[in-house]
Order: sequence, then structure tokens, then C-alpha cells
Amino acid sequence: MTMYVAGADVGSTTAKVVILDRNGEIAGTSLGPTGASIVEAAQRRFREAIEKAGIDEHEIEFVVGTGYGRFKIPFGDTQITEISCHARGAHRLFPATRTIVDIGGQDTKAISVDGQGEVVDFCMNDKCAAGTGRFLEAAALTLGLPLEEIGPVSLRAARPLRITNVCTVFVESEIMSHLVRGEKMEDILRGVHNAIGVRSIALLRRVGISEEVTFTGGVSRNAGMVRALEDQLGIRVNVSPLSQYIGAIGAALFALERARGPKATVVSEEST
Amino acid sequence: MTTDGAKAGTTPEDAGKALQKQLLAEYYHSLSDEGRNGRKVAYLFVPGNVIELVRCFDMLPVYPEINALQCGIKKVAGELILRAENLGYSSDVCGYVKNDIGLMLSDRASPFGQLPKPDLLVCNYSGCNTFVKWFEALAHFYGAELFVLDIPYLRERSPSTADITYVVSQLEELANVCARVSGVPFDRDRLRHVLELSAKAERLWVEVLHTAQGRPSPFDAYFEAVFYMAPLNILRGTEGCVEYYRLLLEELRARSAAGLGPVPEEKFRVVIEGPPPWPHFRSFWELFKRWGVCAVASTYSKVGGLFDQGIYHDPSRPLESIAEYAMNSYTNWNLGLRLDLLKRYAKEYNADAVVIHSTKSCRSFSVGQADFRDALTKEEGIPTLMVESDLADPRYYSEAQIKNRIDAFFESLTHRRLVGA
Repeated sequence: MTMYVAGADVGSTTAKVVILDRNGEIAGTSLGPTGASIVEAAQRRFREAIEKAGIDEHEIEFVVGTGYGRFKIPFGDTQITEISCHARGAHRLFPATRTIVDIGGQDTKAISVDGQGEVVDFCMNDKCAAGTGRFLEAAALTLGLPLEEIGPVSLRAARPLRITNVCTVFVESEIMSHLVRGEKMEDILRGVHNAIGVRSIALLRRVGISEEVTFTGGVSRNAGMVRALEDQLGIRVNVSPLSQYIGAIGAALFALERARGPKATVVSEEST
Repeated sequence: MTTDGAKAGTTPEDAGKALQKQLLAEYYHSLSDEGRNGRKVAYLFVPGNVIELVRCFDMLPVYPEINALQCGIKKVAGELILRAENLGYSSDVCGYVKNDIGLMLSDRASPFGQLPKPDLLVCNYSGCNTFVKWFEALAHFYGAELFVLDIPYLRERSPSTADITYVVSQLEELANVCARVSGVPFDRDRLRHVLELSAKAERLWVEVLHTAQGRPSPFDAYFEAVFYMAPLNILRGTEGCVEYYRLLLEELRARSAAGLGPVPEEKFRVVIEGPPPWPHFRSFWELFKRWGVCAVASTYSKVGGLFDQGIYHDPSRPLESIAEYAMNSYTNWNLGLRLDLLKRYAKEYNADAVVIHSTKSCRSFSVGQADFRDALTKEEGIPTLMVESDLADPRYYSEAQIKNRIDAFFESLTHRRLVGA
């Protein structure tokens, strides 16, 4: 019988599950909104990933949970923080990566890793959600655009505006005042993306920026944000179509280590 | 190792704890209407306080900062802060200040008893620029006399002669004010005697701190030290204070000998910088305990004096040594000196990492902390974790985020140990 493991990343906005086979190859994935019930969201994603992998639940030997909802995942064997998981996942997709910027729903993280994908240092935004995915959501809402369109629209900017607020609440009134002045939507949006870029890069500087830089988390699916980071950093950043799954992939890789043998190097919070 | 045993019966631990409880109960009673016996009340700040001088005039010391932290632990700070905000204080104002204003608006009824009004406000203006505004507000509300003791910032390793002379001249002036307010004449012999008792307690405290160099450390030099240091701030210059530290040292030596520490197994030794999040003190500590973390040194436990850096009160140089002590309060040190101290603590106490708890309220602490982190990680290679919340305002504490950072940090340290081994 083939052995499988799973990583479940339940974040503030979306829940992701990745199933790996014994060779570490992806067998199934699932992604959807977290919503009000973490337990339900995790279970739904887990079932869907199993279905996509075409396997039985009992074939899964080990599950590592990560993300804010990690302690609520009913089928998780242990929990590991998303910082370790993002590092491990990004290193798997881009082995030469040394710096990771993860922009999620309510967190922005800068992580530096060594050649093995081990966390060397990390920094996160403070409690305030300024400069996170939530900031982009607020901007999209104010402009009446679907979230997935704001990135592409921002790329059309000819005269990017300077958005001075990084506060998710105050940015709305700043956007409104630009609209009142007749400014173009794309110029405003480019300014919004640049503002997050500035804040994220400040975090990156705190851990040190060394190439390659990998951009992970839900916001990395936004082409406008990729451009804003690349322009400001002056280098290309790695982005994968699997970006949103990187935390779950990392969790699954830890699960694989744990499932493979007694001399596992997985450090679980519960075992301490 | 377990923490079982050595607890039953009257161990030195019981004696120390019991004495502290008794001394603090007596202190709080002395502040009550029945307990004061006509004695005047002086409000002071902890960093660089002049308690020895105040004591010579039979005045009762009250520290609004200690009241604020007690309100934090007793979980009433949030309410008091809101009362101050209703009066117009902004959310950006220091939580300790607002807690104190809230107490005043509640007729000083605290969970630890009725607090007296000040007869004299001694603003030992040391390292925190909010101090002046704080006591100016209290002087206004209470109609009490304010004395600003201007303490020069410590720019070099030691205070200059000019700075010492400057502070001493103000202390002479303060002595006259205290004599007038209290009606008790200034007795220099009495000051020398009080200073002698202070110095005794200070030397015992330094020995207490040094026990943390052992493995395992017999106590947590942050989460427990903040309670151990209370008598040093409130009761310095009394016989009871000396006796407390004598018992505490005895207790810790017994714990060292028995191999007992605050966590069942000491896995990580850390130096902690910054004040604790008082309203979430226990849960914050738990987040470290579950990783087997023990603080072996901290800077917050030095806010009442950097005695372990050789700064002691000296009865042979009464006012001069008070001046030197006041200038050498931790938050009155320049950033280079503070960074150097963190590095030395990490080395002398064999720490695995440094943890910085940055607080929104306390700028005198948080300024420069990002630079400390930078220098410690990049220049010294010391893993450094930074978490942020507040010392008084419960609204700034996000348990999920803080837990996440602490877990990620010790997860990676553990992992590095495993793969490095």
C-alpha cells in the first residue's frame, strides 16, 4: 500500500490542504475560504484533497496542521507554525531561495532560510493589519472591483499615485479623496500596491534580503503586487502557481519526515 | 528534573514568600487612612527613585507605575484606561499614565486598597519624557506640589562630575522641600543609615541575580524576578528589605543545590528585554514555559537600579551616590550602553537567545529595540525574537500572533539544534 501524508494550512482567509505521496510528490490539493467554522473548512478541504488524490482517508499516515487555525484541525496529528512551513515549502519549490516574503490575509512575514530550508530569522507585521492582504481587500471594496482584478488593473498605471496610508481603515478615505479629484483607478491601485511593497520590504530588510527571494501567500497570486515588489527590490522574485499552497506543502513535508521514521526532526509544539 | 519535593514544610522558600507578603501588606496598610498616622505621601517614579531621601522625612513612597502594573495583573487596567480616554486622553498616550488617571477618577480605589493622595510629587525625570507630563497632570488634578528632579541622560559610560554636582544640588533643594512638606528636619546621619540598609539589600539582590548563571537557573530572571524586585523598589532602606533578600538568596541557593528550576527541564536560556504585558502576564509566561524556556537575565528587572553593574548606594557619599544611582537607571542609559549590556548578559548567563518584548506605551524602552535585534542577530549571531504588545493596555495583546512568533522561534531553535547535533 502506498503511504500518503497531508499538510493542512488553515489561515485567516483561506484553508489549504496538500497530500503528498511517499516520494514527496503532490497527489492532491484543495483550497477554499476559511469562513466562520475552522473545523468545517479544514474537513471540507481535507475530504476534497483526498478525493482528488483518489485515495482512502486511512491511507494517510500523518497530518501536520499549520496556520492560525492549526489547533482546531480535528484530523491533525501535530501542529507546526506557518513560519517553519512556509520556509520548508518555499525551499522545496525553489531550492536556491534564501529570503521569503509571505503576504497573507492578516499577516506579512519576512523569513530568511539557510540552504536546507531551515528558518534562520523572521519578522512579522505588528498586530495591526496594515500592509497585508486585508489592505488590498479594503481597496478593492472601496473601488467596487473584484479582488482578483485589482492587480491586473494596477499594471496599466501610467502615473502611479502615492498612497500615504498603510492603515486598512484610513486607506478607504484616501482612495475616496483621489477618486473625488478625478484620479484614474489604475494609478490609485498602483499606489496601493506600492504602499504594501514599501512596508513588506521594510520587514525583509530586518531579516536581510539575499537572493533568491520567493513570494508566497495568497497575495502572491496578484500580478500587481509581484510587480510592485520587483520594482522596489530591483530583482526578480520567485512566484509559483502553487504559491497559496506553500504553507500546506511545507506542513506535508514535515509530516513526511515524521511518518518516515522514529528519528524524525519534526519539532511539535505538543511534544514540548 | 522535577519541581516536586523541597516544597513541603517550612523551607526557606516559604519564609521568603511569607515575609514579602507580610512586608507588602504592612506597606499597603501604611498607605491607608488608618495606617498613615499623619505621615505625608510622596509619589515617585521607579527608575532612579530617591526613596532613601524621602524615607528620612517619614514620608510614605507611592509609585504610580507599580500601581499601574498591579492594576494590569489584577485585570482592571483596561477599565481604568477607558476612564482616562473618556476624559480625552488619546489612545497613543502611555497606558500607565492613563491607568493612573483612571485611578484618580475612581477616587484611588484599587484592588490592593485605597491609595492616598500625594502631598508631594517627586518627578525623578530619568529616561522617560512622559514622566514630567504625567506628574504635571497629577499636580494639576490634586493641587499637590511638584518637584522636578532633572536627571541628565547618561551619554558616556559614567556620569561626569558636572552632572553629579548638578543632581546633588537639586537633591539638597529637594531635601529642603521634603522638610517643609513633612515638618521633619533633614537628618544626614539618618540618611547614611538608610543608605547603609539599601546597599546591603542591593548586594544581596546582585547575588540573587547571579544564581541564574547556574544550570538550571533556580529562578526565572524575568517572570519571577519582577516579583522578587518589588521590595527593592518599595522598601529599600529598611531592615525588612535586607532580611527579605537574605531569605530569598538562601532559598535560591537551596534550589540550586537541589537542581530545581522554574521549568521542569530547562531547554532554552534567554535574556529578556522590555517590560512584561501585565494584563496577560500568566498566559505570556505560559507561552515560554511550554518550550522549556527560562529567562536567565532581563533588563526590566533592572529598572529599579543597575546594581549588578556596580551601581550601589554608598553611605560614605550619600547624595553623590544617590545622584549616580539615579543617572544609572536602565532607561536613562544611552542605546549603545544598553546594547552592550544585552550582549554581556547573553554571554555571562550563557543564553541561547534574546527575546525583546516591545511595548507601545513605553517609548523609553522600545526606542532602539529594532536596532538591538539587528545588532544581536547580524553582528553577534544571537537569535533574537521580537514580539510586540503593551505593558498596560490589554487591547494591544494578540495572543494568537504572539504565540505564533514564540512557537516559530523556538521551533526553529529546536530544529537547528537537532540538525546541528
